[in-house]
Amino acid sequence: GQGSGSARPQPLEPSLLRFLVCPLSKRPLRYEEATNELINEELGIAYPIVDGIPNMVPEAARRTQEKPPAEGSEQP
Amino acid sequence: VYQVFENVAKKYDVMNDSMTLGIHRVWKDILMHKMNPCPGTLLLDVAGGTGDIAFRFINYVRSVQQRQLQRKLQHHQNLSWQEIFESYQKDKFNSLGDSQVVVCDINREMLKVGKQKAQHLGYSEGLSWVLGNAEELPFDDDKFDVYTIAFGIRNVTRIDLALQEAYRVLKPGGRFLCLEFSHVSNPLLSRLYDLYSFQVIPVLGEVIAGDWKSYQYLVESIRQFPPQEELKAMIEDAGFFKVDYENLNFGIVAIHSGFKL
Repeated sequence: GQGSGSARPQPLEPSLLRFLVCPLSKRPLRYEEATNELINEELGIAYPIVDGIPNMVPEAARRTQEKPPAEGSEQP
Repeated sequence: VYQVFENVAKKYDVMNDSMTLGIHRVWKDILMHKMNPCPGTLLLDVAGGTGDIAFRFINYVRSVQQRQLQRKLQHHQNLSWQEIFESYQKDKFNSLGDSQVVVCDINREMLKVGKQKAQHLGYSEGLSWVLGNAEELPFDDDKFDVYTIAFGIRNVTRIDLALQEAYRVLKPGGRFLCLEFSHVSNPLLSRLYDLYSFQVIPVLGEVIAGDWKSYQYLVESIRQFPPQEELKAMIEDAGFFKVDYENLNFGIVAIHSGFKL
């Protein structure tokens, strides 16, 4: 067994991206390597990937924008 | 329910063996034989945290693939050893025949145990793990060939929603399979079963997992779960066709099956 710390986040199994969608809107997600998250651009939320396992429960998602998307906030 | 499974996760497999006297392995084997997956099948195993169904699936398609390969080679009697060798090499990289299983569970602890088991037993390809809610699946429509939920559906708050989600993510022609504790109609057996469930199982839970209450919860949730016919009706309500069930051990456990047409 590996006793390594979580210095480097485990990557997501690439084949999963074929099936995975946002559980709320059922719309496609974008994998963001920098933060190791799955982003739903439309709703402005991001699902975390912990130990290589994507956490696709809505409660776990964080908002990626300060203001709601409808107000047209600018994000890089 | 979540905390019950956090406590239970690590000792899950041991408890299953003790509670069911190892018979749960047979039930899961029967489920796999009923499924009879061919290589290339895409399976979604929901509430399958510790990987029991997923590993059986991988073993099954691997052996089917092996047999197909052997049969193919038997037809090529005039091949040189070089050609046979090359043929084996080519198929070695495709030992699962593109079969895939996604394990989805709402409990991180169960998934962690499952992932560790997979590593320990040497399962790597064709297997992925997702933390998700059966009532709100993070999967696209019409994606999977088979959906299984083994000993998980009784822990879902809104079974109707889980069934609807199952229907949504299955491809047309896809199969729904549910393995779950059910109702024993024979009165004598029913009483013996009750005795065992309420007297023995929580004690086992205390002795093995140091947790009486979680196992008492498990036993009670089994009693409150809809019986065979009622579950069949719920599955039909979700849109499935050709819904039927098979009792195992006089109804202690039942396998319900339905198709999305």
